[in-house]
Order: sequence, then structure tokens, then C-alpha cells
Amino acid sequence: MSKPWRSYRTGAFFDELMTDRGSPRVTPRRAINFFRGLSADELQARRSAAELAIKEMGISFTVHTEQDNIDRAWPYDMIPRIISAREWATLSRGLAQRTRALNCFIDDIYNQQRILIDDIVPADIVLESDNYKSQCEGFSPRFGVWAHICGSDLVRDHRGRFFVLEDNLRVPSGVSYMLENREISKRVVPELFRNYSILPVDDYPLKLYEMLAALSPRTAKRPNIVVLTPGIYNAAYFEHAFLAQGMGAELVEGTDLTVTDDDCVYMLTVDGSVRVDVIYRRIDEDFIDPEAFRADTVLGVPGLMRAWRSGKVAIANAPGAGVADDKVIYAFVPEMIRYYLKETPLLSNVPTYLCVREQDREYVLKNISKLVIKPANESGGYGIMVGPHSSPAQHRRYARLIESDPRNYIAQPTLCLSTGPTLIENTVQPRHLDLRPFILQSKDVWVTPGGLTRVALKKGSLVVNSSQGGGSKDTWVVEGKP
Amino acid sequence: MSMLSSVAERLYWMARYLERTEDTARLIKTYNHLIMDIPKGAEPPWDIMIDILDAQSMFRARFKVGSEQNVLKFLIADDKATCGIPFAARAMRENVRTTRDVLPEEAWELVNGLHLFVENEAARSSGRRHRHHFLSEVIGRCQMINGLIGASLPRDHAYGFIKLGRLIECTDMTTRVMDVAAGDIMNRAGRFGTIEPLLWGSLLQVLSAAGAYRREVGPIVEKAATLNFVLRSTEFPRSIKYCVRETRKELMRLKNHDFAIRATERLRRRLARLDVEQVTREELHYYVDNFQQQLNRLDAAIHATWFHGESA
Repeated sequence: MSKPWRSYRTGAFFDELMTDRGSPRVTPRRAINFFRGLSADELQARRSAAELAIKEMGISFTVHTEQDNIDRAWPYDMIPRIISAREWATLSRGLAQRTRALNCFIDDIYNQQRILIDDIVPADIVLESDNYKSQCEGFSPRFGVWAHICGSDLVRDHRGRFFVLEDNLRVPSGVSYMLENREISKRVVPELFRNYSILPVDDYPLKLYEMLAALSPRTAKRPNIVVLTPGIYNAAYFEHAFLAQGMGAELVEGTDLTVTDDDCVYMLTVDGSVRVDVIYRRIDEDFIDPEAFRADTVLGVPGLMRAWRSGKVAIANAPGAGVADDKVIYAFVPEMIRYYLKETPLLSNVPTYLCVREQDREYVLKNISKLVIKPANESGGYGIMVGPHSSPAQHRRYARLIESDPRNYIAQPTLCLSTGPTLIENTVQPRHLDLRPFILQSKDVWVTPGGLTRVALKKGSLVVNSSQGGGSKDTWVVEGKP
Repeated sequence: MSMLSSVAERLYWMARYLERTEDTARLIKTYNHLIMDIPKGAEPPWDIMIDILDAQSMFRARFKVGSEQNVLKFLIADDKATCGIPFAARAMRENVRTTRDVLPEEAWELVNGLHLFVENEAARSSGRRHRHHFLSEVIGRCQMINGLIGASLPRDHAYGFIKLGRLIECTDMTTRVMDVAAGDIMNRAGRFGTIEPLLWGSLLQVLSAAGAYRREVGPIVEKAATLNFVLRSTEFPRSIKYCVRETRKELMRLKNHDFAIRATERLRRRLARLDVEQVTREELHYYVDNFQQQLNRLDAAIHATWFHGESA
């Protein structure tokens, strides 16, 4: 065993690749042996190669606080996270099940509201939410599907059990990094690909295209699909361009589109106006149409909601889908699965306390130093308080926030997130990670093999978001005997 | 497949900046080479390059003296100088960043690579020691990008607007070089007569036309033949005649081209009107000035007909 691995200890956590006795798990054994055979210098050389590849490929993301520099190189760790195909099959089925149930829920909420009438989900929680969009009432998009692209975050606890942490149904991002991580791995550790049968991920743009094409209101063989981006200053612009290119679709900004009196959407081209069939929007719904939502938006297209409601254009994800992307609603997903699908949930939720319930709130306020407190409605890891890592002053501040706006807070036990070996300077150390697979649904449901593994690079940290210093790993679903 | 107006505009500007990067690098490289062959006292001033790029006022706002060091710093290492290499390389990259979905996959890596190379090397490359290597590398990388586009981009709108951008930038650069560099040579009026062929030869090199001239005209380089070649060669792809003819061809393939075609016709008629044997320094300057105005009108016609109106 080379020097960088000598101090590797998994501690109290579940490690993705190593057992707590310090030997490799069965599936990743060959990969671990390969990495353990590399000296510190060899690891460094490969890391430099990875950094160079990332720079040359121009993979970048934007952090909003860095105003001058809109490019930051993507942080990639070369030791992949490895999952067996058998284990993945169960997860994949569970994710598809969740997404189907969530889409049933959204379609129900904007139409009959059966689940509210039957009192499975409290009506006020849904109808008083900012995410509930009255502009969507009485409409049902094709196939009854609203959230066409879903990114669900999975974590493992100290026993290695998977849990769903949240479902991102608005404009989930990260899929391009999943694809680029694989490309970098092929350049940096090509030897490993000889030993494993790794499920490929690079057909994602094709699957995305097929899913979107199925939504087209016209029957043309090749519908006009566009990716609607807020522009280059958006954190995920790289991904918008990447996906448009991958699908052979147009990458458009709001100013490229117009809605005319016939309620159709047109894009301005050098040959004149061309009708658009499907819009993959990467703009928050509040900004897509100044006629229907925020009037001050310059990113959107006036009349877009009108076009959508008259069935002249499909929008993915549909406006209003965010009603199910709320950490309070999240708590009810297992109920939705039973209610709409009459199935048993295959994936577990993290136990969740809803501060809006009096009993839960009392428990949360008493145990605030042990819990993770999250605002119901934020993404990107913002506004989260991890009790055990916070000061008594912060505990008091969050207690006040909860008391003044209980609907907006939930609490969960602090999970001992699983770890994976990660190259930190000259040594390999365990770091906490999560996993974001992507689920596509229109006519059918499809789940990416694997997903984006995000890793907290700071020792002991549980925050994996790239906007807050997180890194990422290639994720391998491997088939066959180890 | 049709093309978004906004994308067409960015491709057009991408191509102009690509051409500008390469042309500027070749201008500096040629001049640099020339200066070593000329007797002391006979050489054109260093800031003749600033004149060619029409950037005297911006240059004078930053430097008092048009010395070698200052001129090279301005063109190679100053990322705010809009006529310099770092600015053009960056602007090219920004335009590709927003159009990479219609370009060959490798285009982004190559353009990004050129930008990174310039960013990393520019500071130490304004001195004589690294200058040559830097400029050759920039030219080579530009040629590689052009090669990729030529070899793998379908001949649809994307290619058309890239070609238009390149042709118009090339016409622009060729006329500038003719005006200033030819003007400088003609100003000498017989002084340093022995180096005149050398100077005309350099003018051809700036336009990467020296070899083509030798084959088409012969080894003797003199004023009338040089001007005529640069202006009216029918085969050389950087001659003004060639550029205008190809521009017209590209425009004919687009819808609603009447306005732009009329502007192109005016350029074409003007081409026939210069007497290269008799022309004086003043007449040449007046001629080029007028030609450039017509060229700007063509650029405006392209913007008004096919683009968004947002500037690059």
C-alpha cells in the first residue's frame, strides 16, 4: 500500500469503497488496489492531468459572489464512487416510482385536488405556499406530467442505507458535470476502464431529446426544441450550452422568442420567424412571463403562459411544478406513492419534523442543537443550520425564525453521511458525499445510471454544494462479477 | 435548419475577432522581421502599426512615446486595447461560449486554448526574445481553428455568417494595410530607394501574400504590381476583389439580401476605379477612406437585415 493511503480511517461513518476494517469493499476492490498502487507523485501527476483537461475542456461553473470571474474550474476528484448494478436497480426503480407519484400529485393539485379533499396532505400547506401557482389551475399538460426532469438527492447513513434527501423539480442542474466527469475519468484513469463494465452515461442528451420530443404539440418528425437560458451570467450556463449542443437544439434567451396573436411561440432567425414546439426552460418560473408572473423580468417571454395553456407549446419543467419542490411537501411523498400508485415506497425519506405541526415544533425547539434545520423553500444549500456544528447563538436565532414562520421550516436528524476516499493534497482521506441521479419522465420514465456525486472537500463538512466549496466524483454503476 | 439571429450575429463577430487576432499577430511578426533588415534611420516608426490599426488616440492615452516597447506592450500584453491580441482572443472566446452548440465540438476547446495561451504568455512575450514564438503560436492556433471550421462545419447558415465575418474583417485589414503601409513607402519618394522592394515585400507578407504574388506576378516586387495584386487578384483569397466577390456569393444565399447586395455592388464598382500606376499618396488615402466608408455601410446593412441589433 502506498503512503497516501496509510492513514485512511473510515471512523464512525459508512464508507462507499472501504470497510471499517480498512480493506476495500468487494465491487470497488480492483479500483482501490489500482489507486493504492500509485505513489503520491503519481497521484499528483494524474491530478495535474485532470486539471489541465478541465481547463482545456473549459468546464466551468459560476459562483454568484465572484462578479468579475464567471469561470471557475470544476472541482473533480479522480477516485470514482462505485456502485454495483444490482444495488442500483433497486434505487433506480425507487426513483422512478417517486417521480411518477410526484407528477400525479402536481396534476391532482392543479385539478381535482383529491389528495387534499381526502385529507392525506393538509390543504393549507399546499394552497398557501408561494410555489402554488394559481395561473396553472385547471390545466393538465401532456401525459399529466409536470416535472419532466427531476434531480433527487440521495444520501447514505452510517449503516449504509439509502435515503432521499430532497427532490428538485424546478430547474435541477448538474447533469452536464456528471457527463464531463466521465470524460475526464476516461482521460485520467483509462486503465480502470479495462477492468470494469461500467454503464455508460453519455446517452443522456439523447434521452433528454426523446423525452422532450414526445411533448411536441405538432407531429413533425423533428420538432423545434429550444433550451431557454437566462444567459452567460447564470451559474449553470455551461450546462445549458452543453445540453443544447448535445441535443442539436437551439440555445435561446428570452429576447430570441416572441408570442404572437395566434398564441404560438416563434424564434427570430435569419430566415424570419420559426415556430417553437418545446421549450426546455432553465429559468425559474417566476421569470418566464411578465404577463403572468413577475412583471419586472427581462429574462422571460411575454405571453408564454398563454401559449402554454392553449397547448401551442410545451414547457419542461411545466410552470407550477415547483409546488412539489418544497421540504414540507417532501415529507408526504411516501403517502403520495401509496395514494396514487397503490404501491409501497421503495426508497425511504429522511425522518422529517414539520415545524408547522405543533407537536413537531415543540420537539424541534427542544432538540435544536441535535437537528438540521432547513428552510422549506431554498435550494443550493442556503439557509441551512446544522445543529451540532452551530453555536448557541445560532440555535437561538433559528428558534426565533421557526416561531415566527413555522410553515417555512423543517428539521431532520443530523445524518452521518457516508464517505468516500478523496485525494486531499498528498493523502487520501474520507470525505462526506451525496448522489444526485436525474429522472426523466414524459411518455416513459428513465433514470440515469448513477448520477452526480458531490463531495464536501472540507474535513468533517456535510455541505456538498459546488457553490459552497464542494467537489465532485465520477459515479460508476458496474455490472458483472467483481 | 434555420439559425437564430442572435447566434448568427455572434458567429459573425467570432469570425471577425478570429481574423483580427491572426492578422494583428502577422502584422507584428512581419514588422518585427522587417526592422532587422533595414538600415538604422530608414525604418518606419514602430507606431505605424498603431496607425494601421487606427488606434492612435487610445494608444496615446496610455503611452507618451511610440517606442518599440510601448507599441508591443500595447498590442501583445494590454487586455484593454481593443485592437490588441488579448482583447480579440477574449472577445472571440466570449462569442464562442454563446454559440458552441452550433460549432464543431472541438471548436470550444481550441478557442478556449488560444485564449488561455494568450492570457498566460502575453505578459512575457512583448520583449524580443519570446515575441516570435508567441506570435507564431497565435497564428498557428488561429489557422487551426479556421481549419477545423473549414473541414467539419456543414455549409449552412453557421458557416455562411462565419465566412461573411472573416471576409469583411479581411477586407478591412487589407485596406488599412494598403493605406498606411503603402502610404509610408510612397512618402519616401525615392529616399532609401534600395530598400523599397523590401518594404513592398513586407506589405505582401503582412497579408500572407508573398508566395502567391511570386507565382502570379513574378519575383520583382514594386508599387503598381503590388497594389494591383492586393486589390485585384482574382485568385488570392485575401485580395479585396476576391473578398468582395465571395461576400456577394454568401449574401446571395440568404433571404432578404437586396440591401446588403446593393452595398456590395458599390464596393465592387469602386474596385475598378484606382489607377495603380499614377496614384499619389493623397489619392490612395482618399480612395481607401472612401472604400472603408462603403465597407461600414455593408456591415451596417448585414446587421440591420439579419441580426438582433445588440452589438457584440
